[in-house]
Amino acid sequence: MKVSYKWLLELTGLDWPVEKVAERLTLSGTACEEIIPLSKYLDKVVVGEVIDLQKIEGADKIKKATVVTGREKYDLVCGAPNVAVGQKVPVALLGARLAGDITIKKVKIRGVESIGMICSERELGLSDDHSGIMVLDGKAVPGTSVIDELDLDDYIMNFELTPNRPDSMSVTGIARDLQALAGVKIRKPVFELKEADRKTAAYIKVDIEDAVGCPRYAARIIDGITIAGSPWWLKKKLIAAGIRPICNVVDITNLVMLETGNPLHAFDLKLFGSDRVLVRKARDKEKFVTLDGEEHELSPDVLLITNGNTGVAAAGVMGGLNSEVKTDTHTILLEAAYFNPRIIRKSRKYLGLVTESSTRFEKGVDPNNIPYAIDRAAYYFKEIGGGEVLNGIVDCYPQPIFPVKISFRPDRCNSILGTALSSDRMKEILSGLDFEITGSNPLNVTVPTFRPDIEQEIDLIEEIARIEGYAAIPDTEVNIGPLYTPVHFVDRFEDEVRSVLTGSGFDEILGHGLADSRQAKILNPDLSRLRIINPVSEDLDIMRNSLILTALTVVNHNLSHRLIDMRLFEIGRAYFPPDKDGNWLEEDRISLTVSGNTSGSWREKPRPQDFYDLKRAIENLALHFHWPEITFQEIKTNFFDESISYKLSSGPTDIGLIGKIAEPVAKKFDIKQEVYIAELKINPLITISREAVIFEPLPVYPAAPRDLALVVDVNVKVGDIIKLIQKTAGPTAESVNVFDLYSGEQIRKGKKSIGIAITYRSPEKSLTGDEVDNLQGNIMAELKKLFNAEIREK
Amino acid sequence: MSLLDEVTRLETEALREIKGADSLEALNELQIKYLGRKGLVTAVLKTLGTLPVDERKTVGAQANRAHQDLENHFQLAAQKFSTTRGKKDFDPTLPGTGPRTGTIHIVNRVMGEICHTFYGIGFETARGPHVETDHYNFEMLNFPPDHPARDMQDTFFVEGGRLLRTHTTPVQPRELEKRKPPVKIITPGKTFRNEEISTRAHVSFHQVDGFLVDEGVTMADLKGALVAFCKAFFGSGLKLKFRPSFFPFTEPSAEVDISCFLCNGVGCQLCKYSGWLEILGCGMIHPKVLENCGYDSEKYTGYAFGMGVERVAMLKYKINDIRLLFNNNLRFLRQFA
Ligand SMILES: [Zn+2]
Repeated sequence: MKVSYKWLLELTGLDWPVEKVAERLTLSGTACEEIIPLSKYLDKVVVGEVIDLQKIEGADKIKKATVVTGREKYDLVCGAPNVAVGQKVPVALLGARLAGDITIKKVKIRGVESIGMICSERELGLSDDHSGIMVLDGKAVPGTSVIDELDLDDYIMNFELTPNRPDSMSVTGIARDLQALAGVKIRKPVFELKEADRKTAAYIKVDIEDAVGCPRYAARIIDGITIAGSPWWLKKKLIAAGIRPICNVVDITNLVMLETGNPLHAFDLKLFGSDRVLVRKARDKEKFVTLDGEEHELSPDVLLITNGNTGVAAAGVMGGLNSEVKTDTHTILLEAAYFNPRIIRKSRKYLGLVTESSTRFEKGVDPNNIPYAIDRAAYYFKEIGGGEVLNGIVDCYPQPIFPVKISFRPDRCNSILGTALSSDRMKEILSGLDFEITGSNPLNVTVPTFRPDIEQEIDLIEEIARIEGYAAIPDTEVNIGPLYTPVHFVDRFEDEVRSVLTGSGFDEILGHGLADSRQAKILNPDLSRLRIINPVSEDLDIMRNSLILTALTVVNHNLSHRLIDMRLFEIGRAYFPPDKDGNWLEEDRISLTVSGNTSGSWREKPRPQDFYDLKRAIENLALHFHWPEITFQEIKTNFFDESISYKLSSGPTDIGLIGKIAEPVAKKFDIKQEVYIAELKINPLITISREAVIFEPLPVYPAAPRDLALVVDVNVKVGDIIKLIQKTAGPTAESVNVFDLYSGEQIRKGKKSIGIAITYRSPEKSLTGDEVDNLQGNIMAELKKLFNAEIREK
Repeated sequence: MSLLDEVTRLETEALREIKGADSLEALNELQIKYLGRKGLVTAVLKTLGTLPVDERKTVGAQANRAHQDLENHFQLAAQKFSTTRGKKDFDPTLPGTGPRTGTIHIVNRVMGEICHTFYGIGFETARGPHVETDHYNFEMLNFPPDHPARDMQDTFFVEGGRLLRTHTTPVQPRELEKRKPPVKIITPGKTFRNEEISTRAHVSFHQVDGFLVDEGVTMADLKGALVAFCKAFFGSGLKLKFRPSFFPFTEPSAEVDISCFLCNGVGCQLCKYSGWLEILGCGMIHPKVLENCGYDSEKYTGYAFGMGVERVAMLKYKINDIRLLFNNNLRFLRQFA
């Protein structure tokens, strides 16, 4: 919403500088986003009079213009089609900086030395009009500054409005907030409308078929109008509101809309086609051409103004081409109406149009200001367009809208805001906003219909707060509510996962949660997918059903940026459609991904990362959260290579998956290196986590370390060997570690050699060599029996 | 004495002597004494062949291990006299070895910092579903049926009649329904908007919302809590500005600006030369929302606030493209180690 600063001053009588107006309004809820000086491009631009025009030899389009600006006389080159001798024009002098980054310098064109330029409105930054030079009033005095001549010592104030404040979409509405803020009284324009004897009702009648869509429709007729350009003062008000002047009729309807917030529409009565306005829903597939020349096929979502037969305007959105005001228009049918905001919203969405008028109607204009607005416009039509205003308004108001009455308790207001404002101050604020008040405690407040956002007491409390200023509300310095925070394990869990995994050298990634259904199908065609009905693009058309989708996308992104070595994790959610019983499932998960080499150093060569790097990270988590032993069960999936593909469990609890991404799947993600991924489920992990462990006394007796070197079949699992050792030796085997693993040339085919270090220790005594020998002996016997193990000779 | 005991004795003796060695030369002599070709431990290993098979294996394993252990000890002891002290060829400028640390994603780090700041003033965390119902995302929060936010242009809808939550505020009615006052909660998490991805907008972003409902909660309490948060989070010297705003679920509503932490309010590129940064939205919970949740709005009042984590992170770290936060380029991620 753009408003002229001077117009606000004119209405309020204030003399505040523009910055103060902006700040006070911003701090009361009408945010001023921008202050644009109208005179920005007018420095060194003066009034000049064209006294001579000469053809330039060899040039058709440009002429040499001689211009006087008071005492000075200049020869300028001018290419405008409308330049003529005797005109008063804006002349930009040497050094002027105009809109569009034009700086005036001395130039020589076709042998003519030119220092200065006659300007168009666009070059002066006043409008988009560049069809010719701007022609000033004939009474303008050459040599005076154009700023003074055009009263352009003004600013466009650009406000960003909140959606609940339709009243701010007019100068009067914004001035009303200033009235309350500054304690002044708005000077509402006084005018006297002189009507002719002929009655409006004799020429037009109004019928409303859809009273829900159109609770009020008022019409006036102005006869004998002359279509012409508007006077400068009117144009300037429009320019300062960012609206381009067109002709007096259109400009006047726009001016009154800016002033009152009520959009108006002018029809050419001769083209209207009947003496009856009928407001109805459009019929399905009814054709209608809006005045921008677009043909629309309508639906009943569109409210249509008709002449009883054919459409003449899409109500509240845009007029029709068939009844548009033209240069030869003589009689005007003027409409001022109140349309249902929800219906206008639907209608303009259906039509795909947003106009100054639809924006206002859809927020809610003041239905009870319609007679004032239509009279105000009629007054200008007579004053400016020279028309004759017919007698009376034809006003159809089948569903009157009445002001809301609210009971307001000043003490309640203070108890919500935490303030100690007096009841009188509150009254002052509310009256400043033109609310009527009777009674004292509670106050009975009548809310005018230009404030449809005020429905209940709390809305009035907000009015008090915003006009008094939020700065007037103190900042409490005591903490209220609970003084401690219950720690939820789930929050700590995620934080701790982060510290364990970053400590293990993993970088955290973050997915946005959306995914490409084609990729999800590649990964797992059988897994259900939650489809987005209105996706922003076809590659983000589902919610991800696995964190692996994100992980592979991130691996691909980094590979394409030549970052090939990575250890990644994400804590995030997977989403699924509702099951048969209508239960929606979202699952918090952790993904762990390794690909490429370890970082390596001058001491350790980089080596390819694999399954065991992931396993170590999971072991670190298991250590941290005291998870019971994790077991690996082979599974068949579409996305893991069948050689390395496991379901992870802890006891009976399913905690996730781990494996090597199958090559064909990796290829589909444009990944040409091995990727290992684990996806863990957070909820089961939380159930198996232990927060505290009970202290174990430190050992008193010495440990007895022994090594074992075995040769077994390659398919014997080391885990089973370790388990057997632990089972055989019992708790005396304090730790069992694998320090060597070998298969290859030095050993028979189909065999592998394993070096195992066992530490024996008893909590009760020092173990003797014989006791340890015994244990070792038992272990070896068991290993031989169960795994056919040989003790390897050195 | 069995051979096994002999090994143990040799090992103990060797360790004692290693400890007593006072020069590298002495140490080398000791190493020859025990582990040399004619050394004492080597001698035991040589006798293994003469033992019966069973004994050979146990003694062999033990002797081999002792041999290895002693070698390690000799190496360690040698370091005491070696090279490092006083020698010029040691190079401290070589990079350290071992794995480097990973990094927490900047959005999660900032979100965690925000949460922990609120934990300090007694807020606890609650979460909710990302795939929400219209009921909790809009209706309970006093959004009128035709509110623009309900448009297809702004909200993602999924099959099955639900939508992707557009804010974390639906957790507010969900928790209020479950609990009794006082309720003092923050709701961090993911949210979604149907927007074309650009430098300034993404389909997903993170929010931390919070609210307090109890008897006698005032707007002054809201201001106090947010002043405390902003000072704790951004720095104690900053100023705050509360501007009236509009949200369907709060009334009165406010937008909070903080004085720019980069230029201290003087004006710079970050704050677009205004000296202020818009940082969060807040207000008193609308009585209709409290009533929707079954609370007597005459008895109970409450405040609510919310902020965008990406926005805070982007301001704090001067990140100029929101897409960087979701691309997960390692060069980007590792800047925030
Ligand atoms: Zn700044």
